[in-house]
Amino acid sequence: MTGPSAPAAAPEAIADFLRRLRLGVEDGIGPLAAAEGAASALPDRLQHALEVVGRRLRGEYHEDEWGFDEDFAEAVYPLFEFLYDVWWRVEAEGVRNVPAHGRALLVANHAGSLFPFDASMILGAIMKQHPLPRWARFMVLDWAFVLPYLSSFMRRVGGVPASPLNAMRLLGQDELVMAFPEGVKGTGKPFSQRYRLQRFGRGGFVEIALRTGSPIVPVAVVGSEEIYPKIGESRAMARAVGAPFVPITPTFPLLGPLGLVPLPARWRIEFCEPVDLSGHGPDAADDRRVVFDISEQVRETIQQKLYENLAKRGSAFL
Amino acid sequence: MAAGRRVVVIGVSGHWGSELARRLERDPAISYLAGIDSRPPDADLERTEFIEADIRNPVLSRILPGTEADTVVHCGILLYPEPGKPARVLHDINVIGTLQLLAACERMTTLERVVVRGSAAIYGCEGAAPLFFSEDLARRPPLRTRFQRDISELEDYFANFARRHPEVTCCMLRYQPELGPGLDTPLARYLSLPVVPVQLGFDPRLQLLHTDDATGALVAAVANPVRGAVNVGPTGSVSLSRMLRLARRPTVGIPHPLFEPALARVGERLGVGRLWGDGVRFLRYGRGVDNTRLREEVSYEFAFDAEGTARDFAAGLRGRKIGPALHPGALIDRLAGARP
Repeated sequence: MTGPSAPAAAPEAIADFLRRLRLGVEDGIGPLAAAEGAASALPDRLQHALEVVGRRLRGEYHEDEWGFDEDFAEAVYPLFEFLYDVWWRVEAEGVRNVPAHGRALLVANHAGSLFPFDASMILGAIMKQHPLPRWARFMVLDWAFVLPYLSSFMRRVGGVPASPLNAMRLLGQDELVMAFPEGVKGTGKPFSQRYRLQRFGRGGFVEIALRTGSPIVPVAVVGSEEIYPKIGESRAMARAVGAPFVPITPTFPLLGPLGLVPLPARWRIEFCEPVDLSGHGPDAADDRRVVFDISEQVRETIQQKLYENLAKRGSAFL
Repeated sequence: MAAGRRVVVIGVSGHWGSELARRLERDPAISYLAGIDSRPPDADLERTEFIEADIRNPVLSRILPGTEADTVVHCGILLYPEPGKPARVLHDINVIGTLQLLAACERMTTLERVVVRGSAAIYGCEGAAPLFFSEDLARRPPLRTRFQRDISELEDYFANFARRHPEVTCCMLRYQPELGPGLDTPLARYLSLPVVPVQLGFDPRLQLLHTDDATGALVAAVANPVRGAVNVGPTGSVSLSRMLRLARRPTVGIPHPLFEPALARVGERLGVGRLWGDGVRFLRYGRGVDNTRLREEVSYEFAFDAEGTARDFAAGLRGRKIGPALHPGALIDRLAGARP
């Protein structure tokens, strides 16, 4: 088969396919057989694309036990790549601090009131700049998993409900796991509080790391606070939809769906030196003093790096 | 009692009871096998002594000790109504029946093991939950459906019995829904609809247990019971959308608040019945269980993982051709010249 390889040939090839199909049907060989005959004359490239779509529609793809669908994640990756390169002009530092294999817990600050993009941008930094890129799984606010569409999207790209049991099982399988100990407190804080770390829960992430023997990699993300500046919130709306909070930003809900477009802030992501916990055994997870010490140490590292990177970034939007 | 084990199967006329009895009949270590149910079994059972009794009837307390059995297997828990066992008696059979059975067990002096074929429905189906429930997580999420509450209640009674009788090994098996060629359940009928209604925007992770493993795990648990609850579900999981694609079933999305009434109407028109128990929530959020205990402590080796079950079911469905290939995957197959 020697089909033309130029992309411009695609419409021609389709027209040719339709012409053959019509001729076939006029000859009275049945629409399906005619389509088959016409398809055999398609150029290789189109036939390959057809095969890929066919594999997808036949269910011949891989999903792991968490429902992570690598083909799907790769298919939506270009959209996030665009946000990473063009929209937010992300600069990442210290990506090599992420282990290339084996378990590790990435711990980052959490922000972006309407839709926190920080997990996707951290993932983008690992995929684009790490010498051995790997997919990371991330803990997502439970509420996202009772919503239609969002729940299945999150599951397919590697999100799991934020439960310590999920994190421990993933780490036990030597995965890279992202956690945001601030949780809703981080995403829901007003714009005036930006880059001020909230309470790190009860230090559960340290317990998880100790129990599974995983190193903690603190990550500081600058830029996520400016994409949806929260200037107020609507309690009535939050109650109506069952959300933890519904933010009001300068553009949302004023501009309707257009208000969902994040502002083009500049981002900086810094991956810090891993915190090695191998000196403690798994039993240290029950020692409150150890857990709070490590939790506080990680929190201070991130807070300090946030200030440093804020200074390095300079202007937020230009 | 060097002669071998004496086993009684409760609910022997149901599908799972018959399957179990058939397997146990071939086991030379079992010297005596009896089956109790309210109607005789359809299956040909050779050496199983059939005793006709209703599990809800106190007469069980006189019959059961007379068998001098050392092992009692309870296969009489119903997940959905069956012919002769309509919906309104489901609760009676499951909860009151289990109570009567435990009362009868109290009178047995020879009892060493009780194995109950229960349900993983006790964990419920939650969007935001651990994606793999381990045995200690039962009742952590609220009990939402009637069926879930029934299972929880009977597990409570069973746990009390186990506490009172430390000399008896009491094993509660929590089964994920089963699927397999030839198995007729509301879920299997739903999945074989020519066009399958799904809940718009939801794509649950499913762990469906292959029928071979369902019986295999029960036989393994009867031979080697462990104390407490044991999850019975395959390794891995498959999303509903992928499962239906493998089976070449086109889907139609229905907004989730309308799903239950729509499915009930479609189901009645096509004679497939409606989903029972927690079916609607199951098809919205799915459920996964951790099967480490079954694999390592009961030492059962699964023949099928979740994907294997889905593929086996799909292969069975594809064999039955109904009309032309409606599914776009089947059409594209033909165009690409790639036939499975």
